[in-house]
Amino acid sequence: MPGMAEGHILRDGLRDAAKLPSPSGELECDVAIFGSGVAGMTAAWRLAKAGRRNILVIAGPEPDGNAAGASMAGQACPSGAHYLPLPSMESRHVREMLADVGVIISDPFGHRPEFDERILVHAQQERLLRAGKWHEDLLPDEASTTQERSEHQRFLRYVEQLKTATGNDGKRAFAIPIALSSQDAQWRALDRLNFRDWLTREGYRSAPLHWYANYACRDDYGTSYEHTSAYAGLHYFASRAGEARNAEPGAVLTWPDGLQGMMRALRSKIGFGAHLDNSTAPRQMTGFAASIQIRNKAVDALVVQPASGTASLRTLRVRARHAICAMPLHVAAHVVEDMRGYGFDPATHLPQSAPWMIANFLMRRFPEERAAAQLAWDNVIYEGKGLGYVVATHQLIRVAKPEHAVFTAYNALSDRSPQDSRRWLETASPAQLLERAAGDMHLAYEQLWPYVERVDITLRGHAMASPAPGYLNNKGLLALREVDGPLQFAHSDMSGYSVFEEAAWWGEMAARRLL
Amino acid sequence: MRDRVLILSVFVVASCGLAYELIAGALASYLLGDTVLQFSSIIGCYLFAMGVGSHLSRYVKDEDALARFIDVELLVGIVGGLSATILFSIFAWASTPFRTVLYALVFLIGVLVGMEIPLVMRVLYGRKAELREMVSRVLTFDYLGALAVSLLFPLVLAPRLGMSRTALVFGLLNAGVALFTAQVFGKELHGKRGIRLRGTAVAVVLIAGLAFSSQLTHWAEQSVFGDQIIHAETTPYQRMVVTRWQDDLRLYLNGNLQFSTRDEHRYHEALVHPAMQSLPGARSVLVLGGGDGLAVRELLKYPKLEHITLVDLDPAMTKLFSTSETLTAINQHSLTNPRVKVINADAGQWLETDTGSYDAIIIDLPDPSNFALGKLYSVPMYRLVSKHLAEHGYVVVQSTSPYFAPHAFWCVVATLKEAGFYTWPYHANVPSFGEWGYVLAGKHDSFTQPDHYDVPLRFLDASSTREMFHFPSDMVAPEVEPNRLNNQSLVHYFEQDWHRVIR
Ligand SMILES: Cc1cc2nc3c(=O)[nH]c(=O)nc-3n(C[C@H](O)[C@H](O)[C@H](O)COP(=O)(O)OP(=O)(O)OC[C@H]3O[C@@H](n4cnc5c(N)ncnc54)[C@H](O)[C@@H]3O)c2cc1C
Repeated sequence: MPGMAEGHILRDGLRDAAKLPSPSGELECDVAIFGSGVAGMTAAWRLAKAGRRNILVIAGPEPDGNAAGASMAGQACPSGAHYLPLPSMESRHVREMLADVGVIISDPFGHRPEFDERILVHAQQERLLRAGKWHEDLLPDEASTTQERSEHQRFLRYVEQLKTATGNDGKRAFAIPIALSSQDAQWRALDRLNFRDWLTREGYRSAPLHWYANYACRDDYGTSYEHTSAYAGLHYFASRAGEARNAEPGAVLTWPDGLQGMMRALRSKIGFGAHLDNSTAPRQMTGFAASIQIRNKAVDALVVQPASGTASLRTLRVRARHAICAMPLHVAAHVVEDMRGYGFDPATHLPQSAPWMIANFLMRRFPEERAAAQLAWDNVIYEGKGLGYVVATHQLIRVAKPEHAVFTAYNALSDRSPQDSRRWLETASPAQLLERAAGDMHLAYEQLWPYVERVDITLRGHAMASPAPGYLNNKGLLALREVDGPLQFAHSDMSGYSVFEEAAWWGEMAARRLL
Repeated sequence: MRDRVLILSVFVVASCGLAYELIAGALASYLLGDTVLQFSSIIGCYLFAMGVGSHLSRYVKDEDALARFIDVELLVGIVGGLSATILFSIFAWASTPFRTVLYALVFLIGVLVGMEIPLVMRVLYGRKAELREMVSRVLTFDYLGALAVSLLFPLVLAPRLGMSRTALVFGLLNAGVALFTAQVFGKELHGKRGIRLRGTAVAVVLIAGLAFSSQLTHWAEQSVFGDQIIHAETTPYQRMVVTRWQDDLRLYLNGNLQFSTRDEHRYHEALVHPAMQSLPGARSVLVLGGGDGLAVRELLKYPKLEHITLVDLDPAMTKLFSTSETLTAINQHSLTNPRVKVINADAGQWLETDTGSYDAIIIDLPDPSNFALGKLYSVPMYRLVSKHLAEHGYVVVQSTSPYFAPHAFWCVVATLKEAGFYTWPYHANVPSFGEWGYVLAGKHDSFTQPDHYDVPLRFLDASSTREMFHFPSDMVAPEVEPNRLNNQSLVHYFEQDWHRVIR
């Protein structure tokens, strides 16, 4: 459970400084970035690219945050986010970043940039197991009745139209980043009902379609569709309008270790220096902020470096002309002095957050597929409890199957309330966790355990903000987006839902205000 | 009259019994080699099983003897009739333990056949036949039936019908005996309709088998295993089978013909020499695939060539072609030549780490029949290849048939272009493959077809070379997409093209 110990320390009142040793040192910098997730790293990248050197990143409990990865038997694998859709026209910041790290090879801002094909997901991208048979599509035509098929076509046509739909302000109705979407009340009205009710209202009755819509919400937002805003539900389908010169629409970008691959590339672009006291290169330090305050128009923070190895716990004072708070808002609520002063009242404005479980299965050989089906990158089970599993070795250019592979099974714990699920995560026995983690794969394979060498499970209690109906009008989030001054905020939470582009957008915005 | 029917059944039944035994023995020695061992152990197993069957027959009650005889006939008919087909399929698709299935089938058929004669004798005995007379007649016809088949099988049946169909025909005979007996003894049997129904079902299955067996036989038997197998091995990567028929030696990988010694010189000369003749200064060449050492044999004809690096996935393959006497005679010990370095690795993975630069790169990989192999024909793979190619050098890619699989062939061309290569596609007639295709590619825009060859060749000369680079109007290039990893169009083209050819 990355970050849980630190988070609970903060929640339970580390700020009463009596428990902490007094600071054993002091660091000064131009810009301090609290948090090394996508938002924090994007800010660092933008600043470094603009020539700013004196940047200090305080990594927080988990470098890369929800875009972190792991390694099993030498095979890199994700332990958080796993892919990036082809960036939309509005995601200029992501396109620039991808071009900078060489993933976009040419025409980064055009309609159809050329991408590095090694990063574009290889065929076969996904498959669905339904009634004992694998299908190439999540809404397989061949397994549907005529009535269902016509509903599916109607739905897919509709969301295709939404990709280009605009509001009365000329902006796209469903854009990524969400802040660039139209403010037209006609579209925003969709935020008043949940996605299931919307489907019903529009006359969609097909069970496979309802499953698919629910799956999409669980997969992207960690919540079931009856707890997801209809605007968000449609946003999932309509916002991803990016195209590539050398891939099919709907292709995605992925690395063996998921988006950690992207973070790695970004870090090497930022060019972190080795020494903390060498301020000629951006620096990164371990530790987490226990308090952040504004003193004399500058930022003054207390950073805790937990005991590690022979070093015992110590604290440092960090003073910065500017700072970017790139940690989750539920943590910031305990760390940043006077959040209400920024227009954000944690008691009412904190979005619900969804708990997730990510299980990495180290496989020796590959389990036997039904009817000699070919493994896809993303393997989904119809009506499975989980969200399926992705294969870390999929992108290798190999003829022979590697000796080891890692299958990563994703579970959004959306079957109970987030609070109940978090409680369950804390109390569940390893066997119970494993049972849940392996659920989908058990349905996919007659024999699973003979192929499994080890399983590592990552639990993320507060993995992502979930876009419940009304999320577009969360006044606290709207206020944080506008904050300007010595302290800026940057985190995917501010979008009310969580994807790479959103996190990167707020990192970009914060950095731009400093330039 | 009725007794005569039974005696006649004995004749038929006996011939069927021996036929299955012969088929199993022949199949085992075909597929596994080592004829003496296979035949002896099959016969041993079969005879023992017959003994078990005879023993079991005592548990059949006298009044049921006739009915059980009919049941046994139907069972032998279906199991024996399908035996060869089952064994072929299992062998061709490898992974299942062939031997286990073989002996299980032989044992099962043996048990059933072992019950036949005792049951017939008891039926006759129960009908008050004289013991002395009856035993003599039954056994006479039993042995006569065996004699008939032992002559028919090698002289007529095996060569004309092949194994699968021979077995199916004998299965039908068994079923016929069952139905006929049921017809004649109708009055003495209960549930005649049930018997007829079952009998018809068995017959229908076997006839359907016959109808399809021409395809199956063609595919499995004649084309793959019609000849004698001199080596068969399942490696972690593939199934290798080497066959011989007179002076024709053939290698099959996963059931696909790789070469026939009758015409492999055409394939390999066309693969190697247009590029090599155009690179007189070539010092080092990389071969991807080609673990049979035949392309390397052609390369070794160039004395100036100092280093040949061959990267093939399967150590069993390169070992076989480095050590087997028969096979090294074909590749002229090319793989053990001091100028040659053999590396067993996955081509893509190896290229990612290798730092060498080569004057020519010869890509002789299996056809892109699945996504894993398709990756080796993709834009990123060719970009990687390009990094290892000297500026003046050439790449040659074996690219399936431009005649049978035009979309696949031209897709390879489009993919190489997409990866930044200039391309010169060509084709050669290799009788055992048909019209076969290659793509020559380079990083610069100049290539002149050779008008002579400095090394001794059997197939290529100025005029055959001109023809190779000419694409007549029945081989024009269709519109195709390059093979991107994201959609692997090549794998789809390949499947569709060949699907149209092989129905
Ligand atoms: C299981 C899962 C799968 C996902 N899949 C995808 C996907 O496929 N595609 C996609 O686009 N998105 C996906 N997402 C969402 C994506 O991962 C997030 O949107 C993105 O990583 C969020 O980045 P962030 O910077 O906003 O926040 P976070 O990742 O939450 O980063 C916060 C950072 O703050 C640090 N921190 C915390 N407390 C402190 C403190 N007190 N002091 C200093 N630092 C602190 C942490 O160490 C961390 O580095 C997925 C998320 C999850 C959980």
